[in-house]
Amino acid sequence: MTLAYMRLEMVRLLRDPGYLVMSLISPLLMYLVFTNLDLGGQGDGKAALYSMVGMAGFGAVGAVMGNGVSIAEDKPLGWIRQLRLLPLGPVQVVAGRALCAMAVTLPPILSVCLSGAVVNGVSLGIGQWAAVIGLLWLGIAPMAALGIGLGYLLTAQQAQMAGLVCYMGLSLLGGLWFPISEFPGWLAHIAQATPINRYGELSWRAGDGHGPTLLGTVVLAAWAAAFVAFAAYGFRCSTRTAV
Amino acid sequence: MPGPAPGTGPAPSVIGMTKIDSRPPAGTVPPGDGARPGGAMTSAVTFTGVVKNFGTVRAVDGLDLRLSPGRTVALLGPNGAGKSTAISILLGLIPPDEGAVEVLGRKPERAVRDGLVGAMPQSGRLIPGVTVKELVGFVRRSYAAAVPDVALPSLAELLETARITDLEGRRADRLSGGQAQRVRFAMAVAGAPELIVLDEPTTGMDIESRRELWTSIRAYAESGSTVLFSTHYLEEADDHADRIVVVDRGRVIADGTSEQIKQRVPGRTVSFDLPTVHETDSRVSYESASTAGVALDMLPGVVSSEIRGTRVRLHTTDSDLTVLALAESGRIRNLEVTGAGLEEAFLTLTGNGENR
Repeated sequence: MTLAYMRLEMVRLLRDPGYLVMSLISPLLMYLVFTNLDLGGQGDGKAALYSMVGMAGFGAVGAVMGNGVSIAEDKPLGWIRQLRLLPLGPVQVVAGRALCAMAVTLPPILSVCLSGAVVNGVSLGIGQWAAVIGLLWLGIAPMAALGIGLGYLLTAQQAQMAGLVCYMGLSLLGGLWFPISEFPGWLAHIAQATPINRYGELSWRAGDGHGPTLLGTVVLAAWAAAFVAFAAYGFRCSTRTAV
Repeated sequence: MPGPAPGTGPAPSVIGMTKIDSRPPAGTVPPGDGARPGGAMTSAVTFTGVVKNFGTVRAVDGLDLRLSPGRTVALLGPNGAGKSTAISILLGLIPPDEGAVEVLGRKPERAVRDGLVGAMPQSGRLIPGVTVKELVGFVRRSYAAAVPDVALPSLAELLETARITDLEGRRADRLSGGQAQRVRFAMAVAGAPELIVLDEPTTGMDIESRRELWTSIRAYAESGSTVLFSTHYLEEADDHADRIVVVDRGRVIADGTSEQIKQRVPGRTVSFDLPTVHETDSRVSYESASTAGVALDMLPGVVSSEIRGTRVRLHTTDSDLTVLALAESGRIRNLEVTGAGLEEAFLTLTGNGENR
């Protein structure tokens, strides 16, 4: 049933024009514009790879935040309550939503990577491609948990604001648009503590043929734990109010 | 509210009316009510001393209620009577502060998880991004997974029952109010649950949509399921429920069949035709009617009288005595004795907003 629920929510999200704009069109357009104007200020091949990972991650962040916003939008419709009146456990419902969030990150990740390979001539070995794409996908899980927590906890309007802050603000701060090496030193330090920077770092390093750093993994894992706890808290709050 | 239609109105006389026990004793399970194994149950729903406060407001105040399986029960009460709160507790959405609720022999949450309950909550709209068929199909699948040993109706049959086959390809959020309610009804019965709970199912619907929805609900009730619906439309309770539970200020204040509740209100109306007077002589007609009115008020049991045209209506506390006196005077043309209407009974019982 978890899968049936995931499929239902996925279909709904994929039909949402907001998803199309935030997760597919914007990252793809920005990727093609950024790399062809060379705003990254780096050598061609490296910039193309850097931006590819950044914009794929940007699209993935948009997708998981869109999932969160759609949870918040369902609340006033009584959908969260309706689900509680079906023979579904709360774990199945949250797991279905989480799987939905993960599934809808695949179109932006794959489309940006494909255009990186086809349009911008990013060339990686098969293993490297698999690592880059796999880490882009799995690494978004903590942000997916954050989006779910925001969705359950906040009203639709608040969730839209929070989602936008994460989508634009955290992506920018995390270095998905421009490398944090261009940032002032103090800002770069802050950036390195963000989950999104450590998320991007996984795939940037994989594209260069390196494994994840211990520090990066620890930072990301800590955020993951915090966001999962936050999602659980948000869900519990929603069951108390969604009457 | 419109008066009762001919034929569905109050019984013409209380004489000889059989008094049925308003609360069927526990254990009276109608035959073939489709009880599933696993729950040795004597009642479909039991509220025991349920109390629920919201801040300083006591929404449910010591509610005791037992519903027999296979019956259709109306929860009737004015707005704010605690109907929706009681239903939310029954569905396991909110816990009671005191007391306990059992649904089909188990806790409410358990009964919902076991797929034994279908519900149509009061507020709530359908979600965007899905077709009617996808939505109802998903709900049906969730029940199918929970009750694998029960043969559920096919999706096509389900859509047919709820009269939404022609809507199956439409987006769920783009339906009219009546169409949406039919879809929500289909979701409530998608798992062929033993108990369906409908919280003010027809609020805001036009007459035609209401009739269609009731046709579907009655058909479902006839299959042997327990139906609990709340309403503040008196005719709905009167027309569709085997039993009416009147709730006010969080308590049960009356409980029984529609007839029994009407009988709770003392007083009957005795009406008959005056001897006809020539229409041309209107002055005489007026005088005789007025004189008759004075005499009528003196009849035993009569509290007040009214005369409309040639029809006299006497409000009496003892219709037997009144009728006997009328018979003696020979004035029994088109005699009719009626009980109070359900609306009158309801207003009397709930204090009509007074005595609070």
